[in-house]
Amino acid sequence: MSDDVIQVESLSKTYKVSEREAGFGAAMRSFFRRKFKDVEAVKRVSFNIQPGEIVGFLGPNGAGKTTTLKMLSGLLNPTEGRAHVLGFTPWELKPAYLRSMTLVMGQRNRLSWDIPAADSFLLNQAIYRIPDDEYKTTLKELDDLLELGPLLKKPVRNLSLGERMKCEIAAGLLHRPKVLFLDEPTIGLDITGQARIREFLREYNHRTGATILLTSHYMADVTALCERIIIIHHGQLKYDGGLANLSRRIAPFKLIGVLLAEPAAYSLAHYGTPVENEEDADKHYIQVPAGDVAGITARMLAELPIHDITIADPPIETVIERAFNE
Amino acid sequence: MLKIYQRLWQVNWAEYWQYRANMLMYLLYWLISPIVYLAVWTSIANAKGSVNGLTANDFIAYYMTLLVVDQLTSNIIIHIFAYKVQDGSLSSELIRPAHPMLTNTFMNNLASKALNLLVFIPVWGVLWLLYQPDFSAVTALNLLIAALAMLLGFLVSFLLSAAITSLAFWTTRVYSVHEFYFAISLLFSGQFVPLQLMPQFIQTAAQFLPFQLFLYFPIQIILGKLSTAQIAQGFLSGVIWLAVAWLLFRWVWREGVKRYSAVGA
Repeated sequence: MSDDVIQVESLSKTYKVSEREAGFGAAMRSFFRRKFKDVEAVKRVSFNIQPGEIVGFLGPNGAGKTTTLKMLSGLLNPTEGRAHVLGFTPWELKPAYLRSMTLVMGQRNRLSWDIPAADSFLLNQAIYRIPDDEYKTTLKELDDLLELGPLLKKPVRNLSLGERMKCEIAAGLLHRPKVLFLDEPTIGLDITGQARIREFLREYNHRTGATILLTSHYMADVTALCERIIIIHHGQLKYDGGLANLSRRIAPFKLIGVLLAEPAAYSLAHYGTPVENEEDADKHYIQVPAGDVAGITARMLAELPIHDITIADPPIETVIERAFNE
Repeated sequence: MLKIYQRLWQVNWAEYWQYRANMLMYLLYWLISPIVYLAVWTSIANAKGSVNGLTANDFIAYYMTLLVVDQLTSNIIIHIFAYKVQDGSLSSELIRPAHPMLTNTFMNNLASKALNLLVFIPVWGVLWLLYQPDFSAVTALNLLIAALAMLLGFLVSFLLSAAITSLAFWTTRVYSVHEFYFAISLLFSGQFVPLQLMPQFIQTAAQFLPFQLFLYFPIQIILGKLSTAQIAQGFLSGVIWLAVAWLLFRWVWREGVKRYSAVGA
C-alpha cells in the first residue's frame, strides 16, 4: 500500500443502453421486446494520485471522463475493477467518505434554484456537520477568494451562469473536502471568470493541500493548473504523465509562421504541412518535424520574400488531438 | 441530526412557498374524490334511509374525518422523487452524507403537508358548515390514540411508497406500478367505501393489509367505533407493517442505488 489518495485499478463501466429505431412501429416492438446494447464507457483504467496533486483529466466528448469521475465520487457502481479514495470504496457511499470529498459538475446544480445560495449553504452546514465557527471561517475565506458577497442573498435562479458557478463551487467546498472531483468547473464562463476559478483552485490547493482531479474543455485550465495529465479516449487510458513530457513524446514537430510580401505567389506546401492558426491569422503556418526546423527555416529565408518569421511549439489542443488518434 | 431536519424544513418550506398557487390547485384536485364519495354516499343513504345500517350522518362523519386523516397520512413521494432518478438530478443528493429519502424527501413531504393544511382547514370548515357532521362520539382520548395511529399510518405509507418509488432505479414505468398500488390502496384503505360495507372476505383481507392503517383504522378510532381489543390488534398490525415496510425499503433502496446510472452531465 502506498500513501496515494486515489487508487484506481482496472476500473470498467459498461452501460446497458436500450436502443430502438425511430417511428411508431419500432416503439411498439420495443415495448414488448427491448433490445439492449452494451456500451463500454470505461475500460480497465488504472492510475494513482498522490496527496496534493492537481491532475487534469482529458479526452474528447464521450471518452469516459465523466463516468470515471462519477465512479470515483460514488455515484456509479463500476462493472468491474476497484478504486480506493482516501481508503474508502467510493460507491459504498459511506458518510465519512462523502464528508471528505466533493464532486462539482459544471452542468449540474446542487444549489436549490428557488432560494438564495446562503440558505443552501446553511443546509450544507447541517448536512456536513460543520461547527459554527469553522463554517464562518470557511465562508469568509471562500468569500474572499471568489467574491461572493451580495450573490449569496439572491435566489439562485436570478444569478448569471458565472455567478452561479462560483456559488456552486463554494457550496461544494464548505466542508473543506480533501479530494475534489471537478467536472468542467469553468464551462460557460468568460475568460475572466475562468481565470478567477483557476486562481481560486490553485490557491485552495495551496492552502489546504487538497487533491484535485479535474476535467475541462479549456486547455488553459489544464496548462495553468496541472503538472500531470491523464488522457482517456474510447474509455481507455492513453497517457498518464507530465504535460511537457507529453508534447515532447508525441509531438516532435514545430510550427513555422511566416509573413510574406506576396502570399499568393508562393506555395508553402513543399516546405511542410500548412496548418491554420487562429491566434495569428496574418501569418501562414506550416508544421515541420522538430529536427528539420533549422534546415527548412534557412531554405525559406533564402527562397521567399519573408517580412517576419516565428518558430513555435504546437498548441496543446493539437498535441492531444494527435494522442487521441494514435 | 435534528439540525439537518430543521434546515431541510426551512429550505423545503421556502421552495413550496414559491409555488403556493400550484400547491393550491394540486390540493383541490386531491380533495375532489373524497368529497365526491361524501356527496354520493350521503345522498344514497338519504334516499334509502340507510345503507347496511349506516345513515347519512354516519357517512358524513366518516368522510369528514377521512378528509383530515388523508391529509395527515398520505405522501407525495412518487411525484417528488421518481423523476430525480430518471433525469439524474438525484446525483447531488446521493453524494451528500444524508439519506435522500429519509431526510430531504421526508421533510419535503412534511413541508407540503403544512402548506396544504393552510388551505385545507378553511375548505374543511366550509364543508363542516354545509354538512353539519355529528361528532358527538369523538373524545379527547380517541383523538390522542388516533394521533398515534395516524403517525404509524403515515410512516408505513411513507416507507411503502418510498420502496415502490425506488423501483424507478429499475424502470421508467414506475408511475404505472405506483398507480396500481394506489388503486388497491383506495379499495382497502376505506376511501371508496367505508370498509364495513365491503364483503366479509375483503374486510378480512383488509385487516392483514397495511392500507387500512392509512385511513380506516384512524377514522374508526376517532369516531369511537372500535373496542380496545380491536385498537390493540390494529396497532400490532401497524407495528409489524412498519418493520416490514422498513426492511423492504432498505432492501429496494440498496439494490436500486447500485443501478443508478446518474444520467445527464
